[in-house]
Amino acid sequence: MQGVRKNNYTKSLAILVIVIVLFFLPQYGSDYAISIGVLIFLYISLGQMWNLLGGYSGLVSLGQQIFVGIGGYTAALVTEVWHQSIAVSLVVAAGVSLVFAFIISFPIFKMRGVYFTIGTWIVSEALLVFFRNWKFVNYDAGYNITIAYRIPMSQIYHGALVIGIGSVVLVYLILRSRMGLALMSMRDNEGAAEVRGVRLYRTKLYCFVISSVYTAITGVVLYLNIAYIKPGAAFGIDWTVCMVFIVVIGGLGTIEGPIIGAVVYVILRQYLYSFPGISMVILGAVAVAIILLMPKGIMGAIHKKFGVEVFSVRRRIDERLEDGS
Amino acid sequence: MELFVQSVISGILLGGLYAAIGVGLSLVFGIMGLTNIAHGSLMILASFFIMILSQQATGSVILSLILTLAIMAAISGLAQGFLVNRVLDKGAEPALLVTFGIAIIIQNALQLAFGADFKSIASPFASINVVNSKWVVITGEYLLNFIISVAVIFALHFIVRKTWFGRSIRAASSSVVAAELMGINTKRTYVLTMSLATMTGCIGGLLVGQTFGFYSYSGMSYLIIAFGVVVIGGMGSIVGTLLGGVILGVAQLLGAYFFGSGVQILIGYLTLLVILTLRPRGLLSNMTRK
Amino acid sequence: MNDSALLSIEGLSVSYGDFLALHDVTMQFPKGRIISIIGSNGAGKSTLLRTVMGVTKPTSGHVIFSNEDITGLQTSKIVAKGLSMSPEGSYVFEDMSVHENLMMGAYLPSHRKNMDSLLERSYELFPVLKEKSKQLATFLSGGQRQMLAIARALMSEPKLLICDEISLGLAPVVIGDIYDRILDVNDSGVTIVLVEQEVKRSLEYSDFSYVLVKGRVVMQGKADELDEGAVRDAYFGINQFA
Repeated sequence: MQGVRKNNYTKSLAILVIVIVLFFLPQYGSDYAISIGVLIFLYISLGQMWNLLGGYSGLVSLGQQIFVGIGGYTAALVTEVWHQSIAVSLVVAAGVSLVFAFIISFPIFKMRGVYFTIGTWIVSEALLVFFRNWKFVNYDAGYNITIAYRIPMSQIYHGALVIGIGSVVLVYLILRSRMGLALMSMRDNEGAAEVRGVRLYRTKLYCFVISSVYTAITGVVLYLNIAYIKPGAAFGIDWTVCMVFIVVIGGLGTIEGPIIGAVVYVILRQYLYSFPGISMVILGAVAVAIILLMPKGIMGAIHKKFGVEVFSVRRRIDERLEDGS
Repeated sequence: MELFVQSVISGILLGGLYAAIGVGLSLVFGIMGLTNIAHGSLMILASFFIMILSQQATGSVILSLILTLAIMAAISGLAQGFLVNRVLDKGAEPALLVTFGIAIIIQNALQLAFGADFKSIASPFASINVVNSKWVVITGEYLLNFIISVAVIFALHFIVRKTWFGRSIRAASSSVVAAELMGINTKRTYVLTMSLATMTGCIGGLLVGQTFGFYSYSGMSYLIIAFGVVVIGGMGSIVGTLLGGVILGVAQLLGAYFFGSGVQILIGYLTLLVILTLRPRGLLSNMTRK
Repeated sequence: MNDSALLSIEGLSVSYGDFLALHDVTMQFPKGRIISIIGSNGAGKSTLLRTVMGVTKPTSGHVIFSNEDITGLQTSKIVAKGLSMSPEGSYVFEDMSVHENLMMGAYLPSHRKNMDSLLERSYELFPVLKEKSKQLATFLSGGQRQMLAIARALMSEPKLLICDEISLGLAPVVIGDIYDRILDVNDSGVTIVLVEQEVKRSLEYSDFSYVLVKGRVVMQGKADELDEGAVRDAYFGINQFA
């Protein structure tokens, strides 16, 4: 027991050091390093949120770009059209995505399994077409998000850092809560958990709403970084493609997975920029190879080989089960 | 009123084509429970093969189609045998993600080879009007699309219902254990099923290539139509896809008639969502197994 | 090894990871006889059958059929050699008609040529299947499913028929009826292997019995010489011979 606790202290200390080092990166890092950092943190968040659905809740969504788009468009409208601050756009993005996630949950939660997967994608495609024909959002022309040019890079960096770390903490807390316990038992044995159907429905709904709202908040910062928005890109399936890659490469259903996946994905993509075109082919091939050779992703392979786990949710659950029985 | 009738008729004809796009997806889902995200991309790959072969090698669309059928049957069969089969018993998600990866590979490889230019396959029937009355105009192309699609669907229906190969497919879909005990090699059956499904996609690829055109990333757009058709008709129901296609086609064109052509596709999606909400497993869901 | 054995299992062991499902199992199935394998749930019966039929690969040991080593062959090859298995009744093809289910029994091209006369024979054996021939198998009762599974397995004209858990979930009258048909099949020259949980009837209908407990053969003997009580004790693990 002492050993475990000591191990935990070492772990916490290591995490703290890493966070401090990352926090002060703008003081000593190059602009390039900072921009890579921004991408990694934001993609960690996207990955964590997709993983919360696909990896833990059994909700394989191909439509989470809906919320990236909502976040991005909120940032554009709030800052460009209404000339309000970024803080306001974060709040509005959270509110709009909350309402939208809640509304679409009625139809799409009626759909099971693959129908859910297809349903979410259809919603996002419908939204894409709708935005292209919507005067309010300037049709297909979209917006330049000019406020992005006026804020210093270090500010975006710190925003991304907070969002990235926040996403990890959020998922960690969810999994350690009663909700997490319900999710785990559902994932391990859907039939048995189905008995508590109402609670399960609500748990999945909460996960969906939380994931959607957080993805929208991430979308705000993503588009502050990109600085212009159009419907095709904002609601494009490419966002979900990258979320899926990150989670699958890192390890589906693990907290560390999306972190590893985001780092690998961003760095690999940066490296492959010098081979335009072929980069996505290689990424696709890497993803397929990893599913075949390491079904639980890089993290799964590490865990199997070394037994290392940074954020152990599992042990906690075992304890609870023992307490309960 | 003329336009209304025209919209319905064109919608039905368009629906036939949509059904041809979706039927392979439905077959694969019904037989092995696999959601094949690569279906649309395989279809567009076939469109490119047909275009290149007919322009640069054979000079004949029919001959190119036949060659493409063979090539695509081989490609999809290999992908099934070496990639998808290996994860099929690990649950629905890994297999879905593998096909997702294959889709990404195909469309980006096409992008690399052919760029993002819009292409099309020449059609001799495009400008011929078969029916040209006050009420309705039917182009030879739309009519031919419809006829070919219906033929494909009924041929597939016949194969699955009446041949030994079809019976082995249905047996494998019903119970893998029992099928193996009958001497059926179910993994090989899956490979052949995927090849067959992709071959129907080749014909879909030819027809959309002639009618609408395509580019490297079109696969995903056609995939969502295929999904729509299959979702309405009920996953796994072959003849149901025809109904699904017609409903989607008519909904789109009536949407365009009432609200303008800009929202045509939106109406299609909304129709799908409404149907999925009311019947979460498709309109003909009681007739299908999964 | 017994020369007249049609099928013999020699020192068969199967493990799944760390779990040893079958341990050094040896059994003989002489031509023309009815042999029963008795064991409770989890005794390793299914693993044994899956291994014999080539679905699962053994860790060690051999399966010999007609003096030929068929260990690890593909199921289709094994079926082609004249070994056939009727899985328990839940494994009929539910969305195919009764007639088509029977046809599937003769799926391999070498079996298809006598299909019509074999279909006739199936309907003679189980007349109720003829009445229901056009119906989907999903509408059959438990007993009818079991009959269908057996008739389907006979469509490949096997030399040896393995029947898995005929009595599972069926009323005694129905079980008796099906067992009598099995005797008819045996009379026509087919060697029968009955795999059962039920002790009494297995002993009654078979010539020789093996009792399987936790993956080992703990008892064997001529069915009329085995004491039902002793089998039951072994079965429940009260007095293990191993």
